[in-house]
Amino acid sequence: MWRAPFWLILVILTCTGCNITIPQDPEQTLERIQGGVIRVGAVENEPWVIRVNDEATGVEAELVRMLATELDAEIEWIWGSEQEHMEALEHYKLDLAIGGLTQPTPWSNRVGFTSPYFETQIKVGIPQSAPLIDDIEDLEVAVKEGTVIASYVEAKDGIPAPVKEPSQAQGPVAAAEWELEDWGFTVTDIELHTEKHIIATSPGENAWLVRLEQFLRTQKSSIKRMLQQAEENPL
Amino acid sequence: MKVRPAYQLPEDKQKKLERAKRLEWLTIFFMITIVTVMYLAMGSSQAMKAAWAEDLLSLVPPIAFLITAHFRQKPPNEKFPYGYHRTVSIAFLCAAIALATFGSFLFYDSISKLIKMEHPTIGMIELFGRQIWMGWIMMAALIYSAIPPLILGRMKLPLSTELHEKTLYTDAVMNKDDWLTALAGVVGIFGIGLGWWWADGVAAGIISFEVMKDGFGHLKEVIEDLIDKYPTKVGHDDKDMLPEQLQYRLQQLNWVADADVRLREEGDVLTGEVYLVPKTETNLLQKLEEASELAQTYHWRLHDVAVVPVSSLGQRNGNHRSSS
Repeated sequence: MWRAPFWLILVILTCTGCNITIPQDPEQTLERIQGGVIRVGAVENEPWVIRVNDEATGVEAELVRMLATELDAEIEWIWGSEQEHMEALEHYKLDLAIGGLTQPTPWSNRVGFTSPYFETQIKVGIPQSAPLIDDIEDLEVAVKEGTVIASYVEAKDGIPAPVKEPSQAQGPVAAAEWELEDWGFTVTDIELHTEKHIIATSPGENAWLVRLEQFLRTQKSSIKRMLQQAEENPL
Repeated sequence: MKVRPAYQLPEDKQKKLERAKRLEWLTIFFMITIVTVMYLAMGSSQAMKAAWAEDLLSLVPPIAFLITAHFRQKPPNEKFPYGYHRTVSIAFLCAAIALATFGSFLFYDSISKLIKMEHPTIGMIELFGRQIWMGWIMMAALIYSAIPPLILGRMKLPLSTELHEKTLYTDAVMNKDDWLTALAGVVGIFGIGLGWWWADGVAAGIISFEVMKDGFGHLKEVIEDLIDKYPTKVGHDDKDMLPEQLQYRLQQLNWVADADVRLREEGDVLTGEVYLVPKTETNLLQKLEEASELAQTYHWRLHDVAVVPVSSLGQRNGNHRSSS
C-alpha cells in the first residue's frame, strides 16, 4: 500500500517523459479538427457574431477563423439558437459554439467552457459637454430597452430610462466601456458590471479546450481593437 | 440532588491532553487551508468534490474533541448532576449523521454521473502570467491535502490510546488514511489527462464510498455508546479488561465473599456500580467506604463508582425478571 504513491509518480513521469501530451481528448476532437473541419455553432449577437448570408463575421467569428488557419482546418458555420447549439455540443455534434456568451451560464454542467478570454466593463458615460459625476444615486440613466443593464443601474440606486438608441442620449448612459468610447461619451469611473466572455466547447474534450484557450490568450491584446473595428464596419 | 464530584485527570495525562488539544488546533488550522485550496482548485472534477467533502467533514472530529475538552472542565452542577461527559457523544452523533448522509449523496451523484457518461471538462488557468492545465493544479492541491493530516494523524494516534479518547482516535485514523483519498483523486485527474473520462467518476465513487462507510461506521459506534455498550478498547470492538481487573481486585478483599461490577463508558471515564457480598456485617459501613475508595483509585479512568452491598450476586445476569 505504501508503495502506491511512488508507482504513481513513476507513471506520471514516464507519461510526461514520452510523447503523450496531457490532457487528451476522450473523443479525439482536436486530432479530427487538425487538417479537417471545425463545426461551429453560431448565434447572432452583434458585435461578437454577425451573420452575412451564411458566413459569420464579428469578433468571435474572426477569432475562430484565425484559429482554423492555425490548425489548417475548414469551418462549417451552423446557425441556430443557443439552446440548439448547447444540446448539439453536449452530444458531440458541434465542436464550438459562439455568440457573445458570458459567465455565469446555466449550461456549465453540460458542455465545456473556456475561462473568460475577455472582459468588458459596463460603465456609466456622460456626454462630453456634461459635468462629471461620481455616482448615479437618484439619477436618470439611459439604457438600451429590454436589457439587463437596467437592473445594474437599479443596483446602484440609479433610475434606468429605457431607450431605443442609448447612443443618442443627452444625459448619463450605461453601456459597455468600448461602446461608450465609440459613441463619443466621456467614460466615468462608475462601474456597474463586468461581463466575462467565454466560448463553449464539447464537454470533456480537454485537449481541444486547452488548444483553444492557448490560442485565445495569444489574441488577448488584439480583441479590443477587433471589437471597435467590428462596430465601425458592420459590413 | 447529590451532585457528582468533579473528575480530575492525573497530571501526566493532563499534560498529554494539553498536547492533544494543541495538535487538534493545528489540525483545524491545516484542514481550513486544505479545504480552501481544494475548493479553489475543484473545478468540474467529481473526485475533487468528493475529496473536498471528506476534508470538510474531517474538521468535525477535532471540533468535537475541543468542545469536549472544554466541557470536561465544567464541573457537574445542580442542573446537570452527572456532568457534561455526554456532550461528545451528541456532537459525534450529529457528525456521523452528516457524514453518512453526505457520503451517500456523493456516492449516488458519482455513480449517476458515470452512468450518464458525463465527461469532466478541465481547461487552462492563468497563474503568475503563465497558462497551465488546471488538472496539474488539482493534483498539486490533492497532494497538499494529504501531507499535513498524515503527519498529524501519526502524532495523534498514540496520544488517543494513552488518553483513551475515542474522538481523538477516530480523528487520527481519518487523518492517517486521508492520503488514500488524495491518491485516488490524483489517479482520477491524471486519468482525465490521459483521455479516460471515466477515471474521475470511478475515483469519486471510491472516495465517496469511503466517506459513506466512515459515516455509517461512526453512526453505529456512537449509537452503541449512547445505549451504554460494555467498555471497549480504543479502536477495537474487544472488551476492555479494566472491569474484570477491578472485579478481581475486589474479590481479593478479605471481607468480601464475592464481587461483580457493572460499568459504562462516558468518554474516557468509566463509571457505574460495584456489587459486593460481605462475609460478615461487622464494621460494614467502614469497609464499604474503603472499597469505594479502592474502586475510585484503582485506575485513573474510574470515576464516581457506587458500591452496593448485596446478599448474593444471583441477579447479575439480569434474568430475575423473567424467572419471577
